[in-house]
Amino acid sequence: MDLFTGGHSGCRGCGAAIAMRQAMQALGPRTIMVIPASCMATIGGSGLKTAWNIPFYHSLFACAPAVASGVRAALEIRGIEGVKVVSWAGDAGTADIGFQALSGAAERNEDIIHVCYDNETYMNTGGQAGGTTPLSAWTPDTPAGKPTKPKDMPALMAAHRPEYLATASIAYPRDFIEKLKRAAEVKGFCYLHVLAPCHRGWGIREEETVEMARLAVECGLWILYEERQGRQRLTVVPEKRLPVREYILRQQRFRECREEDIEALQAEVDQRWQRMAAGAGGEELG
Amino acid sequence: MRELLNGNEAAAEAARLARIEVLASYPITPAAPVMERLTGFIAQGTLKARFIRVESDHSALAAAAGAALAGGRTLVVTNSQGIAYMSEVLYHVSGLRLPVVMAVVNRALAAPHSRFPDHGDAVAQEACGWIQLFCENNQEVLDTVIQAYRLAEDDRVRLPVMVNYESYIQSHTREVVEVPEEEIIDGFLPLNRRAALDVDNPRAINVVTGPDLYMDYKYRQDAALRGAAKVLAEVSGEYGRLTGRNWGGPVEGYRLQEAGHVLVTMGSLVSTCREAVDQLRAAGEPAGLLKIRAFRPFPVEEVREYLKGVKTVTVLDKNIVYGSGGALAREVRAALYGEPEAPPVFSYIAGLGGRDVTSADVCKIFGLTQEKRRAGAKPPAFEWYGLE
Repeated sequence: MDLFTGGHSGCRGCGAAIAMRQAMQALGPRTIMVIPASCMATIGGSGLKTAWNIPFYHSLFACAPAVASGVRAALEIRGIEGVKVVSWAGDAGTADIGFQALSGAAERNEDIIHVCYDNETYMNTGGQAGGTTPLSAWTPDTPAGKPTKPKDMPALMAAHRPEYLATASIAYPRDFIEKLKRAAEVKGFCYLHVLAPCHRGWGIREEETVEMARLAVECGLWILYEERQGRQRLTVVPEKRLPVREYILRQQRFRECREEDIEALQAEVDQRWQRMAAGAGGEELG
Repeated sequence: MRELLNGNEAAAEAARLARIEVLASYPITPAAPVMERLTGFIAQGTLKARFIRVESDHSALAAAAGAALAGGRTLVVTNSQGIAYMSEVLYHVSGLRLPVVMAVVNRALAAPHSRFPDHGDAVAQEACGWIQLFCENNQEVLDTVIQAYRLAEDDRVRLPVMVNYESYIQSHTREVVEVPEEEIIDGFLPLNRRAALDVDNPRAINVVTGPDLYMDYKYRQDAALRGAAKVLAEVSGEYGRLTGRNWGGPVEGYRLQEAGHVLVTMGSLVSTCREAVDQLRAAGEPAGLLKIRAFRPFPVEEVREYLKGVKTVTVLDKNIVYGSGGALAREVRAALYGEPEAPPVFSYIAGLGGRDVTSADVCKIFGLTQEKRRAGAKPPAFEWYGLE
C-alpha cells in the first residue's frame, strides 16, 4: 500500500511529492509525520480527503521539530516502541522560520528524524527568496537576482553533531532510501537534506524536475554524502563532473545570472569538491 | 497533609498528583520554580514523566501539543512574554481540542519591562479558545490545577485550560496548603486518553479546511467552551465532596445576601476584597463580592443571576485593554446590558505591574463608587486608581 498515495494535490512533476513517495518506501507504516506550513503540508489533504495512510499533523510553521519531540516523549512514556517520528519541512521551515526549534531538537538529541525537502525558494507562498535560495536567483522579491549566498544547512546541522546526517536528491532514490533506513535505525537526532526541485520556482518544464535534480549532483553543486560521528563519506561520485554552466543555463530563475557569477560559482564548486573528496573517502561508515 | 507552599510549589504538587506524563517548559521569571520542582520529582522517581528542555516558549507549547496529540497528559508553565510568544500555538491547541493544562503565573507585559503581577498577559489571550481560570490563593492553585485535567479531558469539553495565579503575590508567598492523598486524586482523575496521532489508526490532522467546514468546527469549539462552565461546577462539586473544598463553578459569591453594592474581581484581589467586604460590613455598608473564577468561558448567566437587584457594581481590573478599559468590567457590562433595572457598573483599573492594592484601597474605591451614586453621576467608561 502506498503510504502517501496518488490523488494528492501537488503539481504534475512536483519534486516535494516525489521526495515523500520515495521516503515512505524507507519509513514504512509505523511512522508519525509532522509537517509545518509548506506545499507538502497542504498537498496531502483537504477538507475530509487525504492522501496520507499514516498519522500526519500539519503543524505551525516555526515548530515541527518541537512537536515531533513532544510526540516522541508521549510515545516513550506510554511505552509505545518501533515508531519513527519525523518532522519534514521545506527550506523555510528548516533553515529560516523553523531553525530555532530545529536547533533545539538537535541539541537535545531528540529521537526524531528531520528531513528538509529543499526547493530553494518559498514556493507555497509564490516563490519568494529564502535562506537556501542560490546567489543571483530570480524570485518575486529579488527581481535583480538574489544578492547574497545561501546558507549551508547541512554544515549548520553538522555543527550540532547529530547522530546521523545526510544529503540526498530525488534523482537518486536508492541513495535517499538507504540513508533514511539508516536514520530510522539510529537512536537520537538525525538530519536529512534532500534536494527536491520545484519546476515552477526554477523555471523548468515539469518533466525536467528529476533531470535538474540529477544535474545538480553531476555538476558538483549538490554533493551527496553522509556523516556519522564526525566522519564524512561521499555516497555518489559523478563519473565526470559537468560544468555548472549546464545547470544554470537550463533554469529560468538564473536569467539575471551574469557570466562572472557563473565563473565564481564554478570556482567555488571546484574548491568545495576537492575539499570534500580529499576529506571523505569512500569507505562505509560504522 | 498540610504544608507550607508558595503558588509555584502548589502548582507543582498538583501536577505530581495529576501524574502528568510530559512536561514541556522554557524558564521564565517567576514561573520557573514550577518546572524545577517537577524535574526534581522526575529525578527522584516520584513522578514518571518526560521533561522536554525546549529552547523557547513557542516550542514548549508546540511540544505539549505534540505530546497531547500522541495521547500524553501534559503541563506547560509560563507567563507574560512567554504566553505572548506562544500566542499562535494557543489557537492551534484549542482548535485541535487538546486537553493541555498550563499554569500561567500572571506577570505584566513589557514595555516597559516588568516582572511584577497583573492580568494583562492572560487577558491579551481572551479570544484564544482556552478555558481561563483564576485563583485567589495557593490552596486554590493546587485544587484548580488538579480539576483542570478533569475538565480538559472531559469528553464534553476536550479543551485546554489555563490556571492563572499572580507572580510573587502568589508564586512566591507561602501559605498553608492541604495536599490531598494520592489515592484520592487517582480516584478523582482517571486518565481519559485520546491519541489523535496513532500508527494503528492513522488520521490526517489539521488539513486544509475550506469554507464548507471551517465555521462548523469553530461553532463546535465555542459550544464546548461555553458548556465548560457547567462541567466546571460539576467537577468542583465532586472535588469538594472528596476534599471538603469546593471553590464553586465559574463564579462564587461572598456575603451577597442583602448586598446592595457588589465588588467584582478575579485573582488575588478576590482575597483582598473578602477582607474589604468584612470591613465594610462591620462599618454598616451592605457590601458583597462576586468572584470571577472563570474569565473564559465568561459566565454571563451566573453574573446576571448573582447581580439581580443590586444597586451598584464596582469592578476591579488588574489589566488594561488599551483604548477600551478593563476587560472584566467590559464583560460584566455586556452581561448586564438589557437586564431589567440593571445596576450601574463602575470600572477601576488598579494594581498594574505589581502596584499594591490593599483592603483599605478596596474600601476607598468602594467609597468612590458610593459618592458617585449619591451624586447621581453616570459611571465613566473606566477610571485609573492609585496613580502616583
